[in-house]
Amino acid sequence: MSFADLQSIPEAVAAADEALAALDDAFVTGFGRLSGANLEALAGLQRSFAATPLGAAFTEAIAGIARSEFVDRHFLVLAAARAALHGAAHDALVAQACAALGRPAPAREAIDAGASQEPPPQIAIWLESTRQWLMELALAGFANLEVDILLPFQATLDAISGEPRLARQAALLSGLLGEFLEVFPCRGTPEVPRQRWSDLWTRAMVLSAAPPEPIRSRPVKGELRLLGADVREHDNFATLVAYAALYEAGHEDTPRLVRASASAFKVDVIQGAELGPLLADVAGTLLAGLAATKKIAIDGMSLSDGGDLLWDDSKAKLGGAADPLAEAAAVLDAGKTPAARPTLAPADRHPALIEEPIYLASYARADKPELEIDGATIPLAVDRWPTSDDLSVASLDGEHGLFGLLRFDAGQWSIQPLTALKGRGKGKLQMLGQAIAAGKGARTSSLATLKERASKLLRQK
Amino acid sequence: MTAANRSVIKPRSLPRPRKINKVPFVELYAGRLQGVVSSKSDIKRVYVSYFEAGSGNFYCSTNNNRPCGGLRGSPCKHLQELLGEALLQYGPERIINYMGLDLDPTKVKRGGDLLRGFKGGPHKVEAGMVFSRFLTYLHYVNLPPTAAAIPEMAWFVR
Repeated sequence: MSFADLQSIPEAVAAADEALAALDDAFVTGFGRLSGANLEALAGLQRSFAATPLGAAFTEAIAGIARSEFVDRHFLVLAAARAALHGAAHDALVAQACAALGRPAPAREAIDAGASQEPPPQIAIWLESTRQWLMELALAGFANLEVDILLPFQATLDAISGEPRLARQAALLSGLLGEFLEVFPCRGTPEVPRQRWSDLWTRAMVLSAAPPEPIRSRPVKGELRLLGADVREHDNFATLVAYAALYEAGHEDTPRLVRASASAFKVDVIQGAELGPLLADVAGTLLAGLAATKKIAIDGMSLSDGGDLLWDDSKAKLGGAADPLAEAAAVLDAGKTPAARPTLAPADRHPALIEEPIYLASYARADKPELEIDGATIPLAVDRWPTSDDLSVASLDGEHGLFGLLRFDAGQWSIQPLTALKGRGKGKLQMLGQAIAAGKGARTSSLATLKERASKLLRQK
Repeated sequence: MTAANRSVIKPRSLPRPRKINKVPFVELYAGRLQGVVSSKSDIKRVYVSYFEAGSGNFYCSTNNNRPCGGLRGSPCKHLQELLGEALLQYGPERIINYMGLDLDPTKVKRGGDLLRGFKGGPHKVEAGMVFSRFLTYLHYVNLPPTAAAIPEMAWFVR
């Protein structure tokens, strides 16, 4: 392992970043009022894409937009081009990380597509209105959004969030709309997170291109040993993602890495431990295993080709005590890390979504939020540090090992710790998400109050 | 690298949890500070209250559009309660910035301190405008959870 190799980034990634920043300027200005500089940047990108499968469509899209031919198809092409560049950067970065960490690239499992059912026709309609809305945003420009553009989308969003097959779209779109509404209406010049909003817009457009395909999966049986968990959240949605080693029955000597998620819609006042009961509705055993640090036996649970378990409490049973850090050390040892570990579908790849699980046996914490690993300095992913007290920076004292995720953003690698031991001697286990999983210490019972109101008011509607 | 070149940005200010029995809903939305306040006398009745940025106007009525009896030229107790809870949820700085109030955030300790920032008067709006937002809000706690992988959530941190 050589973390020193992660102190710089591949040249092609830096070049792609520059091209994208120029494109993102157009999203900020608005495609309905492009400046000369914006048009030049688009022409430059057009040349870069000329020799790719997107080349012809990109040229047509730019020409169409220049003629004020505002149709969602052109904007879908822009999104595809932007996503393709990020996908290529993702792959180059994962290759760099795997070389530095001395591990094989993560591999997707070949699983046949199951029988698929025709999606209900309203899904296509909702996705079409989403594309239309996203096009209006791009035409106006992120710096010039008005509530008149933002508010009408709520009706489409309500429909999408009520359709379980569109959970990804609902999670993303409610987060994006919430961010816009926090900034707009704006007096004076708005502060626009250029790359972030361009990213979220792009992903929303890509996810709205067509109704989702069914996930390819197969049933698995075996023992899960949790390594750590991460919590992702905006005002209206929360996700707990757990990382685990899976010892499949019949393949006990070759564990693989899997992810399991529990997500729920929520509102702003529901936070922290109050998320526990919400998430436990769909993955109670997973949360119990995390809260009590126990192994979990699963039988017949679906595992996707990308390494994601589709949690089903009826197929899970709590087992004996687990030791997450010992397990992480065993399964993530240099040279032993399995290729069978979670990875994104090609269309979902983006540098900010890289989460390469790592175990550090020895490290030191500098005064700054950085870790010293074998003479290399890697920053901590401070923006990803959650506002919870499960795992404090102070507990990263270098006395014991830690499990975390290797992350990438803003042109640099960073480390997001998820599980560590605090203090001398044996140390005390600290796992992110444990307080939520335990659901203890909730200061209020907002959820119960709101559910009661909802049962009265929404029934009357 | 500035925030312009980051994909993942920790929000600068987050809404804080608060007891929601008296004021189940508060939000900063579309240039308004608005919410729903429970009636003290009738458990089935709620008051719908709002302040508008810019004009500083306000209004309070029942969800059936009956004007609040306490609203006589100046904000009623429901509007004052709304400000108090908004302060708990958002903190003074975010409210002052969003509503464009000419107040010093370090001097705003209670809801009443915010009141001085609103220079307008009562201005009737349909209660449905705010009440439908409350229903949207409640809709979110009524949706089923999911175990599906949501890779996009890696963009959202707290």
